[in-house]
Amino acid sequence: MTQSSSEASRLHKASVTDARVAMLQSPATAGPLQNYLLAALPAAEIERLSVDLEPVTLALGEVLYEPGGRQQHAYFPTRSIISLHYVMENGAAAEIAGVGNEGMLGVSLIMGGNSTPSRAVVQTAGEAYRLPVRCLLEEFNRGGPLLRLLLRYSQALLTQMAQTAACNRHHSVAQQLSRWLLLTLDRMPSNDLVMTQELIAGMLGVRRESVTEAAGALKQVGVISYRRGHISVLDRAGLHDHVCECYAVVKNEFDRLLRDARHH
Amino acid sequence: MTTPANRILASIPSRDFERLKPQLFPVLLKFGQVLYEPGKAIQQVYFPLSCLVSLLTAVDKRRTLEVGMVGNEGMAGMPFILGIGVSGVRALVQGGGNALRMSAKAFRLEFDRTPALQQALYRYTYALMAQISQTAACNRFHDAEERLARWLLMTADRVGRDEFPVTHEFLAHMLGLRRVGVTEAASTLKRRKLIDYQRGKLKIIDKARLKRASCNCYQIVNTVFARAQSQRQDGRSA
Repeated sequence: MTQSSSEASRLHKASVTDARVAMLQSPATAGPLQNYLLAALPAAEIERLSVDLEPVTLALGEVLYEPGGRQQHAYFPTRSIISLHYVMENGAAAEIAGVGNEGMLGVSLIMGGNSTPSRAVVQTAGEAYRLPVRCLLEEFNRGGPLLRLLLRYSQALLTQMAQTAACNRHHSVAQQLSRWLLLTLDRMPSNDLVMTQELIAGMLGVRRESVTEAAGALKQVGVISYRRGHISVLDRAGLHDHVCECYAVVKNEFDRLLRDARHH
Repeated sequence: MTTPANRILASIPSRDFERLKPQLFPVLLKFGQVLYEPGKAIQQVYFPLSCLVSLLTAVDKRRTLEVGMVGNEGMAGMPFILGIGVSGVRALVQGGGNALRMSAKAFRLEFDRTPALQQALYRYTYALMAQISQTAACNRFHDAEERLARWLLMTADRVGRDEFPVTHEFLAHMLGLRRVGVTEAASTLKRRKLIDYQRGKLKIIDKARLKRASCNCYQIVNTVFARAQSQRQDGRSA
């Protein structure tokens, strides 16, 4: 695309911006402001961005990034959750971090990495907004509020990665499962998850039998219930009794990020 | 100190480095010294020259896991690059040696007005993120022997020598293993004559074979850093 035609398309898009922003902010739809990072931006910023933000619906299991691949878009989940997996050469994989409505998929792109080191898979189907990498980099180079926000978010993401690694190493599958459920619920409007034990085993990098055992124990004490392909959390407070400190560490980090974001 | 041994500082234009120079203080960091604690304010950043800093995440107040390493390819105090004044991890000097220290305040000022430094450090952050992710995977899926071999190779590369002081207990903290697990893995490597271990000193005696005993996480992390560095060089010549 040449400079002038890109400019033309920008102007064309700009003419529909106002209406679109209003539509996107309506509480009835999963507007971009349901993503906390976008919501923390000043109105002028989100208005400029909304020209290029494209609503998408992500399907369970959809692979958005492959390790080493060149990426076209960054994603801001609103009602979906994306899981970052590390993948070994023999195909073994486990989750290193999750990205929900508190974050953005694609921080490695702003670091100048071009590609991402992990695979990104949709863990909970739902809506997100995507932004072309070109626009993300323009915003980043502008050095405005989005840059500062994304850098801070990167730190929260790194903390999540480090904590997940330590948790995987030292904590029981039941603790890890509780952590994972709580972090997932925090990003969701409901207490019901579309999820199989097989998928959870893939997230935690453990055998399916270990998940069945851990989930069975949580079911027995009435904290969760499950049927084929669904998990319901019945007693959220009860889940807190089974979780390791790793949940609070990650949660506090995101809370701090968003608290600070509002002050900037 | 015309060409600094720290590769971040070496990669920025010399006029930028000249401006930074008066604010960089040479320090000797000792083995076991703690530079940052999780949740505590970062007062100084460090550019390692010959020392090695280990980034540790602790759980249950005692069990730890090394999630990353910072040697002369990087900078300790990364949250500061990202605009955060507190550390998320414990940073422990794992290999004693020299570093250049800069106050966090001075660093912030220079970082904000030096695009070359920003670019170098963002790329470094990317590589460190990849390292953390790879280390997590390695700890999850590879056996103690492979992980120990990886750790020894990474350490040797960053301290620039093949002999360093370690205890089994220390290695257990780094690798998230029980001490007996470390002892077993170390004896196997010793029996195969890849390393020697005596009175708290570990020596790599056959690096080529130690590389084969390691999982390829070692190679993957190296490639990521090499790529980040070569892009940095490109960016500079452009």
